[in-house]
Amino acid sequence: MKMKKILAATLAGIMALNLAACGAASSAATEDTAGDAAEPATSEAGEAAAEGEQVTINWALWDLEANAYWQNLADGYMAEHPNVKIETTDLGSTDYMTQLATQLSGNNSELDVVSIKDIPGYSNLINLGYLEPMNDYLTIPTEDFGGIIEQITASDGNFYAVPFISSFWVLYYNKDIFDQANMEYPTNDMTIEEWDQMIRDVHAATGIYGNHYHTWRSDYTLFGVMDGEHTIIDGNYDFLLPYYEMVLSEQEDGVVPDYGELKTSQLHYSAAFENGQAAMCNQGSWFLSTLLNYNRDAESNGVAPVNFGMVKYPHPDGVEAGTTLGQITSLAVNKNSENKEVAIDFVNWVASEAGATIVAQDGAFPAVSSETTNQIIAATEGFPEDEASLEALNTTQIYLEMPLSDKASEIESVLNEEHDAIMTYAKTAEEGIADMNERVGEILAEE
Amino acid sequence: MSGTTAAAPEKGLPKKLRENLIAYSFIAPNFIGFCIFTLVPMVFAICLAFCDWDGAHAIEFIGIQNFVDLLDDDTFKASFVNTIVYTVGTVPLTLVCSLGLALLLNQKVKFRNLFRTVSFFPYVASLVAVAAVWNMIFSPSMGPINQLLAALGVAQENLPRWAAGKDTAMITVILFSVWKNMGYYMVIYLAGLQGTNPELNEAAELDGANKWQIFWNVTLPQLRPTTFFVIIMLTINSFKVYDQMYMITQGGPGNATMTLVYDIYNVAFVNTPRYGYASAISMVLFILVLIVTLIQFRGSSANE
Amino acid sequence: MSQTAVKVKEHSAKRQHTVVMVLIYALLIAITFLMLIPFVWMISASFKMNKDVFVFPIEWIPSNPRPQNYTDIWTRIPLLTFIGNTAKITIIVTLLQLFTSSFAAYAFAKLNFKGKNVLFLGYIATIALPWQAYMVPQFMMMRSWELNNTHLAIVLLQAFSAFGVFLMKQFYEGVPTELCEAARIDGLSEYGIWARIMLPLSKPAISTLIIFTFVNTWNDFLGPLIYLTKTELKTIQIGLRMFITQYSAEYGLIMAGSVVALIPVLIVFLSLQKYFVQGVASAGLKG
Repeated sequence: MKMKKILAATLAGIMALNLAACGAASSAATEDTAGDAAEPATSEAGEAAAEGEQVTINWALWDLEANAYWQNLADGYMAEHPNVKIETTDLGSTDYMTQLATQLSGNNSELDVVSIKDIPGYSNLINLGYLEPMNDYLTIPTEDFGGIIEQITASDGNFYAVPFISSFWVLYYNKDIFDQANMEYPTNDMTIEEWDQMIRDVHAATGIYGNHYHTWRSDYTLFGVMDGEHTIIDGNYDFLLPYYEMVLSEQEDGVVPDYGELKTSQLHYSAAFENGQAAMCNQGSWFLSTLLNYNRDAESNGVAPVNFGMVKYPHPDGVEAGTTLGQITSLAVNKNSENKEVAIDFVNWVASEAGATIVAQDGAFPAVSSETTNQIIAATEGFPEDEASLEALNTTQIYLEMPLSDKASEIESVLNEEHDAIMTYAKTAEEGIADMNERVGEILAEE
Repeated sequence: MSGTTAAAPEKGLPKKLRENLIAYSFIAPNFIGFCIFTLVPMVFAICLAFCDWDGAHAIEFIGIQNFVDLLDDDTFKASFVNTIVYTVGTVPLTLVCSLGLALLLNQKVKFRNLFRTVSFFPYVASLVAVAAVWNMIFSPSMGPINQLLAALGVAQENLPRWAAGKDTAMITVILFSVWKNMGYYMVIYLAGLQGTNPELNEAAELDGANKWQIFWNVTLPQLRPTTFFVIIMLTINSFKVYDQMYMITQGGPGNATMTLVYDIYNVAFVNTPRYGYASAISMVLFILVLIVTLIQFRGSSANE
Repeated sequence: MSQTAVKVKEHSAKRQHTVVMVLIYALLIAITFLMLIPFVWMISASFKMNKDVFVFPIEWIPSNPRPQNYTDIWTRIPLLTFIGNTAKITIIVTLLQLFTSSFAAYAFAKLNFKGKNVLFLGYIATIALPWQAYMVPQFMMMRSWELNNTHLAIVLLQAFSAFGVFLMKQFYEGVPTELCEAARIDGLSEYGIWARIMLPLSKPAISTLIIFTFVNTWNDFLGPLIYLTKTELKTIQIGLRMFITQYSAEYGLIMAGSVVALIPVLIVFLSLQKYFVQGVASAGLKG
């Protein structure tokens, strides 16, 4: 008897909780629509915030300690807006986007401004309805972003984030190893084939790996999208085949490190390049500040600095030099935020020239770049002194590694899984690509 | 489970009620806390198995659709098989190793405390460090293990690729798990061994039994509650394995070491969250564990 | 049997004993070697520069040792705060876990009551449900009570586990029921039996539970990751992840931090394992 009563009471409690949860979810949903209907106009809101009472906004980001620009941006904005206090919530870089989704779950309003680290995660947050569309609020002309806003615009015609850092891929090389091989340095205009030959030549001459690919999928084969005709979300991946064949043959000939081993050993590309274990390294522009820091501290650490240079990314035949792949860091506003006006104003400020200058001073590449910001970066102590390295900073066209699609996150999972299978010889390149086509096809076919 | 009160003479209902109340009062502190903070979300999650929910929009009841979808999900099917392979591989091996280690370290040997502590090391050391060193030692081309094999005359192309090879990845993870966890179960066995009665051993020795006979007929039966606990926990923990894969292989190569809980983690946490679907997978896991546990319960009570 | 025959027999038995002991020590040394590898590697890596950590062949004794890793970890992140937080959570959880589990286990092992088997099976069954399946609903529930970003949340999640009850129950069953009987006849209440007989007799089990709870809470990762987003509240395992950033990971510092984090766990283990001594329960039998 007792047991039954206890059980009954427990069950009743659970039911109540479940109902409460349901209720919370649906009432939050209604609030959403209400919020949509009563959207404030930005300019007024911004002014209101500027004059109004003390407001505190909470900004979600990662690597607060490692990247000076986060705090400097917050401080810069607070200096101009004394009534605003910006608190930061560092969710760590490793699982940042999933952590962010968890923190926003149930339409929570604790975070006001959220930083967006990658496109699949961004697409997730849009699907979940956590982000505020920015179309009506952005105060900077969209053209200034060099085509990036278009690439992050969702199928409903809205874009939900404003980029403020735009990293792009370049080729780093170790001058000493090329000198040792008695070879010409890489140039700012190389086709993929020329680059492949160079990887093999430098390895033949020195026995050192010609290039260090990092284990990311984009590192190995994303050259394929640089012709502008293919994307990684359209469901057909046959265009990746020649690139897979190229890297697999490099791997088999031992001129580049083995993927499977890199994956399990956790050897980082920076360590490999700093140790002179690879003559070249195709990486994002973010690697520049890592290298500069390494060289700056080399003496006190008792190691030799790396004598490196950088050139534009190798490109497919017939594509203009300076075409490259890119990754952006953006800011978005939580749709459920209680301080939307201030949050939006802050996002605009970060993307503006005031924000861009701070970003460049801290060694990152602002999304709205200019001669001035490039000059700031090139003036950083330790930047390679050759002309080619400075010229490498000028890009003609940046294709995002992953353009936006509401299926981006699922597609990314499939591609990464198949990539892993191909690179570890669990499947041949043909089989892997056929499976990519089939599985992504299924994902795209779902309504 | 020999109760004492059952043997005591019954003195009518009030006493029975009193006994029940006393027993419940013992359970209450743990049970109430457990119910509020764990059981409630658990039951909620079980209900979710029949719903579609992403944490943002309203919960939608969809009947058994999640389970129907499971039948068509290749990742789920691969994880299901991998989980069973992993469990079958780890449980007996870990059991034998940990019992052996406990028996060894229950002997009167010098530096016993030191040896015990050392055996517990892989379990307490941070997983990041343990996984990193394991992967370095088993690195296919440069790790000491393969270099040793090569020195012993194994041809370069026949060297196992360990965690990086699709056929060897699971074995590598199993070996890793046994090595990492045997110290943990050793501790349980050590504690269990302290409850055994040395006089029984001495008596058996006087009767002329050899060491093996003493172990099999005297020590092991006394360890039955411990062994029961170890087997149940080992089985459940093996079915729920996740972080070892996360650290060593990330579920790869391909799907070779993807397990059910890894899949649940991905479905509920990494992509657009599908809590209902994740719950459906965990229900499958739950039923699987329940069946195995019940069989073991039966086996243990049949032995008593 | 003649005198000499007995002597020979004794002698050979002695020799056999020596051989066995040599084998045992050889085995122990081999196991020690196997088990110590990760620790040696950790210490070695903790004295290296980040770029040298994963370099082959493994350099067990760093040629360019960096003891400053051990000073950097205190200044680069608020490690002391993290250790304080972790210690606070771990100690509270361990005490609560110990009390509630051993208390409940007594009822399951030595008392008869209605619904005992069903309740116990239900307890074990819940261990089978993976936490990953309900952690987000649980998080939303706790957050609705404003428990996110509090240490209390982690304590409440960890302190009432079915595992502890199961473990303690299995050990209590090894304690002879006659002891409880005798105590009851002497007029001791059930609470008295638990406190004066069961607890003192189950020192190995209590030590085991303390060690496991301590290690698990100390090394817990996913829980604090989700619940504690404010830097000043973070625990060691989460704190050390601050050395892993988007484009690099400072393994030298992580390993130095891990070595420091390991020390309290080892102290707990070393100080408790003296209770793993034969004859605790059987001594009680005689008395």
